[in-house]
Amino acid sequence: MEFTKLFTQTEVERVHEASLEILENVGMLVRNEKALDIFAKNGCQVDMETMMVKFPRQVVEKARQTFVPSYTFTAQDPKFDVTMPGDRPIVVTGSSAPNIIDPKTGEERRATSSDIANIAYLINELPGFDVFSISTLADDAPEGQFSMSRFYPALKNCKKPVRSNTPNMDDLKTVLELGALIAGSEEAYRQRPFINHHYCPVVSPLTFDVESTEAVIYLIEQGLPVYGTIVPNAGMTSPLSLMGTLTLGNAEFLGLATLIQMIRPGAPMIYAVLSTVADMRTGAYAPGAIETGMMQMAHTEMARFYNVPSGGYIGLTNAHSNDAQSGYETGMNTTGALLAGADLFNMGGLLGSLMAFDFGKAVIDNEIALMLKRMKKGYEYSEENLCLDLIAKIGPGGSYMDTDHTMKNMRSIAVLPKVATREMRRRWEDQGKPDAHSRAMKEANKILSKPNKSRFTEELDTKVRGHFPGLVAGDVDWSL
Amino acid sequence: MSVQAIYDAVVEFDIEKVVTLVKAEIENGTNVSVILSDGLIGAMDEVGQRYTEGEFFVPEMLMAAKAMKAGLEVLKPLLSQGESEKKGTIIIGTVKGDLHDIGKNLVSMMMEGAGFEVVDLGVDVDTEKFLTTAKEKNADIICMSALLTTTMPFMEVTVKAIREQGLSYKTMVGGAPVSEDFAIKIGADGWSTDAPGAVETARRLTAK
Repeated sequence: MEFTKLFTQTEVERVHEASLEILENVGMLVRNEKALDIFAKNGCQVDMETMMVKFPRQVVEKARQTFVPSYTFTAQDPKFDVTMPGDRPIVVTGSSAPNIIDPKTGEERRATSSDIANIAYLINELPGFDVFSISTLADDAPEGQFSMSRFYPALKNCKKPVRSNTPNMDDLKTVLELGALIAGSEEAYRQRPFINHHYCPVVSPLTFDVESTEAVIYLIEQGLPVYGTIVPNAGMTSPLSLMGTLTLGNAEFLGLATLIQMIRPGAPMIYAVLSTVADMRTGAYAPGAIETGMMQMAHTEMARFYNVPSGGYIGLTNAHSNDAQSGYETGMNTTGALLAGADLFNMGGLLGSLMAFDFGKAVIDNEIALMLKRMKKGYEYSEENLCLDLIAKIGPGGSYMDTDHTMKNMRSIAVLPKVATREMRRRWEDQGKPDAHSRAMKEANKILSKPNKSRFTEELDTKVRGHFPGLVAGDVDWSL
Repeated sequence: MSVQAIYDAVVEFDIEKVVTLVKAEIENGTNVSVILSDGLIGAMDEVGQRYTEGEFFVPEMLMAAKAMKAGLEVLKPLLSQGESEKKGTIIIGTVKGDLHDIGKNLVSMMMEGAGFEVVDLGVDVDTEKFLTTAKEKNADIICMSALLTTTMPFMEVTVKAIREQGLSYKTMVGGAPVSEDFAIKIGADGWSTDAPGAVETARRLTAK
């Protein structure tokens, strides 16, 4: 499959050059002291007083030489390990929403650790999802267990790679302790680190923050998996033109990538973005806007120039219910990104621009994920697939229904959706005219009503609970 | 009549014109508090109204606030102590761990535009800094902003500290993830979805 190209090679190179100009002449404000030291030791011009860092172009070009083309998400169960670009597209849930749409009442409320357990189990079972980024916060977290109340229910109920962030170093270290406990030892955990860390250390425009940058530095030093997302917002934190925002965001990616490669040359990275255009009428954040998809397509083209995996938060929606807007915003933006060759899609389950998780939305996004994967699989061009012999054999006027060829392909050639209806109208009316959301909720219910076979063993759970007193229950608790 | 021209210049966000007109009006001997309330603050109320009705976009509201502020700077030395204090003093910042300050900056500008004394502590502000500054400046309201859902808990920490220390400061919270339910739950006194709404809330909280 050939990818969509928005720019000529000359234009791509100009965006790169322009990004180098920004890093060299404007520089970045680096609020983290460790990062300032690393930049100073590796050839940047650093003003310790103002925390301003300027990047000579050869410093960035040197970092570029150690970029690597792949990134792996490791899972508790090795059969769920996924690597980009080979396993592209990798579909990930959206993360860290404070709220959930209550599956019983349909009302928005604060999410809890039981919700996280339910979501973890659902994502474990839905085949379109590859990585579970912990979808919500846990409002019931006991004092001092903000992150544990998220990672414990997630890891307990989902064997796919789990991804999320932590707000400070203490939480990060506790979460890593949990990882080692599950793996059996710190050494075993380091061999298969199944917690995948993610941060937004760069705050646009051109600023490194304190805490997230600290976490990224620590994880890169430790050789553990981490990547960052670059999040410029045109009109607010970047120029109100697509080209300006692409170039600024690209410079910010290069700034972060340079830091990472200075610490550990060859450390795997993802060129991940959530570049958006603000709705200037109100300043509203608009991740569901079509421009988000356009930005992802262009960043992906830049990522291909650097030969690193690409993607980001693509396929989000501003819709507050699992409705038509939710579907077309997720559908159009992810389709654009896929055609441009993006590897990673942080898209599942969230409504209201990352504010609330919805079970029905997650099930529909699973189907969108399966459709994207189908598009990626493409035509499978071959002489055999031209089917010339078969066409000659059936001839004009015959039927392909009862051929071996059809029998062989009928379960694999097309996506067989569980949510999308293909019934005749009358039958659909007889079923009570269910819309896509209610059909999706039925699917969620079907999965979550069965016991979770992927849950921690009792032995492991006793060990974890003994080590971390006062933990939330972290079990699936579902009824409709 | 010329106070109306100041009003118009703010609504047209013409910074230079506002400054020139305010200077001229001071020379004319017009009461400074009339220039302030009927010219500058009145204009910002109109700007807020136009924004709420969808006529003004955010950058226009911001530019008008800048024009208003430029006029206010000219006026400030002439305002009596009482005049600058009467609307109330506001301490504002993004909470610890959060560097996202665009919304906070806009609220800060609009508060100044409405005549409040605003002490902007910038970004990544911890509870201690909020409280020491509030004590120093004899503040009325502490306004906290967050964009990241993971930094929101720090708002509650500050609200709790105010209660525990028996302090009388009112608190307001804002930012994309902040909802009315959240504000109520953590015991904040006010919240708003946008900058003009924040001004209204602050006026309500400081009404004597």
